[in-house]
Amino acid sequence: MKILVCIKQVPDMESKFKLNGEGTWYDNSDLAWRMNEYDEYAVEQAVQLKEQVADSDVTVLSIGPDRVKEMMKKALAMGCDRGVHIVDDDFFKKDPYEIASIIAEFGKGKEFDLIFTGMQSQDRGSGQVGVLVAEMLGLPSITTIVDFAFDAGQITAKRELEGGIKAIIKTTVPALVTCQLGLNTPRYPTLPNIMKAKKKELLSIPVSELLKVEGKQETAKMYFPEKKGGGLILEGEVGDLTDQLIKMLKDKTAVLA
Amino acid sequence: MEFTREIYWNVGNSAGVLIPMYLLTLIAFVALGYGFWQRVKVYRQGQALNRTDLLAQRIMGAVRDILLQSKLLRVAGPGVAHALFFWGFLLLFIGTCLIVVQADFTDPLFDIKFLTGTFYKLFSITLDIAGLVAIIMLGGLFIRRYIIRPEGLDNKKDDLIMHGLLFAILITGFVIEGARMAVTELGTPLAAWSPVGLVFAKVMAAVEPEALRSLHKATWWLHLLLVIGFIISIPFTKFRHLFTTSANYLFADRGPTGNMVTLDLEDEAAESFGAAKLADLSWKDIFDADACTLCKRCQDRCPAHATDKPLSPMKVMNQIGEVAFDTPDANLVETVSKDALWSCTTCRACQDICPASIEHVNKILDMRRNLVLMEGEFPGEEVMTAVDQVEVNGNPLGLGYATRADWAAELGVKPLAEDPDVDVLYFVGCYASFDKRNQAIAKAFIKLCTAAGVKVGILGKEEKCCGEPVRKMGNEYLYQSVAAENIEMIKQYRVKQIVTTCPHCFNTLAKDYRDLDFDIPVEHYTVFLEKLHDQGRLKLGHGEALTCTYHDSCYLGRYNDIYAAPRALLTAAGIKISEMAKSQVESFCCGAGGGRIMAEEKLGSRISEARVKMAAETKASTLVSNCPFCLTMFEDGAKGAELDGQLAPKDIAEILVERLEA
Repeated sequence: MKILVCIKQVPDMESKFKLNGEGTWYDNSDLAWRMNEYDEYAVEQAVQLKEQVADSDVTVLSIGPDRVKEMMKKALAMGCDRGVHIVDDDFFKKDPYEIASIIAEFGKGKEFDLIFTGMQSQDRGSGQVGVLVAEMLGLPSITTIVDFAFDAGQITAKRELEGGIKAIIKTTVPALVTCQLGLNTPRYPTLPNIMKAKKKELLSIPVSELLKVEGKQETAKMYFPEKKGGGLILEGEVGDLTDQLIKMLKDKTAVLA
Repeated sequence: MEFTREIYWNVGNSAGVLIPMYLLTLIAFVALGYGFWQRVKVYRQGQALNRTDLLAQRIMGAVRDILLQSKLLRVAGPGVAHALFFWGFLLLFIGTCLIVVQADFTDPLFDIKFLTGTFYKLFSITLDIAGLVAIIMLGGLFIRRYIIRPEGLDNKKDDLIMHGLLFAILITGFVIEGARMAVTELGTPLAAWSPVGLVFAKVMAAVEPEALRSLHKATWWLHLLLVIGFIISIPFTKFRHLFTTSANYLFADRGPTGNMVTLDLEDEAAESFGAAKLADLSWKDIFDADACTLCKRCQDRCPAHATDKPLSPMKVMNQIGEVAFDTPDANLVETVSKDALWSCTTCRACQDICPASIEHVNKILDMRRNLVLMEGEFPGEEVMTAVDQVEVNGNPLGLGYATRADWAAELGVKPLAEDPDVDVLYFVGCYASFDKRNQAIAKAFIKLCTAAGVKVGILGKEEKCCGEPVRKMGNEYLYQSVAAENIEMIKQYRVKQIVTTCPHCFNTLAKDYRDLDFDIPVEHYTVFLEKLHDQGRLKLGHGEALTCTYHDSCYLGRYNDIYAAPRALLTAAGIKISEMAKSQVESFCCGAGGGRIMAEEKLGSRISEARVKMAAETKASTLVSNCPFCLTMFEDGAKGAELDGQLAPKDIAEILVERLEA
């Protein structure tokens, strides 16, 4: 089985964020970098699938500057066989359409049976790249999976819907899935695997070779949420509270006509 | 009259006596050698390890510890009994050797008999008293084991045989002496020099001399057979500890306390890291099991065992022995159990008290290394997350690395990157940097230094976790990685002296980092401040009267023998200390060591609450500690034990800063 897993390097969410000079993204200084959380589930599931199906090969792909190599080594140490680093210092300026087309361009003709991605990135959070790649490659896709099973060419996945209801979706390979929290517990790389990862193939491809489209969106401005007034606590009898609340909703919001 | 006795009286020294006697003795020693040789083959299943360097020091240390019984005497009751029993038996053994020397060498070869006159009188009375003391002590040990039955002291068939054999040997010895004295010494002045034998003689006084001679001869042969039996039994029973425990003193680890092997992780030939099977251990690890006499002193002091976790250091040592001798292909981790392994806080109480110098802690840590490095396993997801955060943000709390120096902003302390010209580098550590409660320690320490006129610098966001918690959890790779980064950073600033407020950082930088090409002097802040106080640079006034109880942390206490400096500082600040029963070297762990600060405590009851309750018993209002882990655990423990109203946990820095003399 040929498997592709797409990962993104994001800042650790505990970092203190500042805006960059242009005001269109966050500044890179004083940030700790790590693999996108949802992509960790993707890597883990890809490796588990490889362990299940004989003669499988997992390629891990990432778009970004040189520092993403560190993160890719972790994916290799978790069990991916080879890495593809698409070198792009301006990846953050690209919209999901461009990112997806770069990946799809790479994937074209490679006949991947399964593509795993995270359901969204922790920084941009568009949630679109996985689905766009599938559409571009003409593959069925299942998003936000919390369970995955594979048997003789058929995928059985569970998606978590509103209210905790789970939907069961089945499809056949080739296909793409995007991974959600709860799918699995990503393994901690063992030392022998960390050592082996250093010797695994890690190709570098300049992004210009794969980018053949123009973006459809542009980030105009990024800003911190404005600090507004504090919360309001209403106290008293339930009947009075209800009247107060309805009056506030009518006067201050557009919720009630 | 002549003060002497006829060696071989009544038994005779004809060939009919000497040949069987020496033949049996020879057989006994061959059996002894054979028995131990079989055991040596089992020890050899372990890796090589050099424990015969500094041989002169080792021999002197071993001889001193054996003869003085110093380790045994750390526990009064059974320790004194064993020591007296040992000295008694030792004297009797020396006495027998002297007889052999005279009877087999000096007399037949040179016609010299030295067991006469004053020397013989002293010889005689010493051995009598030695024998009596040995019998009484043996009786005491028997009563303790079989009647008092202390909890955790398991009795095996071995133990009964040992008591019986030794008792029989001692009693038959006196029966022989008594019978002889009843025939040859009653009524003479010599009899007084064998007071115990005299009692036996008087009891037998009424018996016919012929009957006495028969009794004497028969008992003499019985005594010989019992002793032969004893010698043969040594390698096959707990008696082996005569040799194995003594040898363990010889083979002790003479490195710094808490020394771990710094693994060569680049070694491509290494198939595995840590210990999962017997061959991963060293010969010394297997030998340790043979030196164990199941005295349970380690188990009695283990904080995990005391709070119903499935860990007993004694049991782990013996399980390794069982694997070595019975099931060498067994998986060590599965035999010992993961729950037991992860429960250890590396407090070192076990290793410290062990009278057989067994090394408990590193075996547990080596098995942890195998679990982490080879299996990627941790005691829980929360630990994996914390370890991961050390890699991403340089601290297990998961807070952004760039905010590491935020606590110092208002105090005017600059990172070395901005101002490298400082008197001392303060290695703050993760908890004092990021944890709200522990930031008070860092701030207090800066104020104390400022008052003493010391200019302090910090690494700020360039400082990373010292690596100790992850190392103790088994992640040697991540430890070496963060350590190397810290070392490079510190060397870059040409730092001359380092102080830290955390005993774990202190122990790691001062000792563990030595293996990684780092030799800058490191001090714990209590020693640093005490020096400043002695020099008159740090002035402490008395302030409000306060009675506190002081907790000796494991890593400052047992690991580094720092007990006096913190107490001197508290006393200088006019604090009265009401000591807990378990203090100084017997201090009871807070529960956070061994990387367990990162883990949830899911088994048994809380170690922190157990310790806080001990502190509350002193009726002091304040529980003073010297470690951010202890402070964190005591804050939680006090709330959990519902003692937070009556006992306030504080770090010693917080106490001292309130009492700075203006």
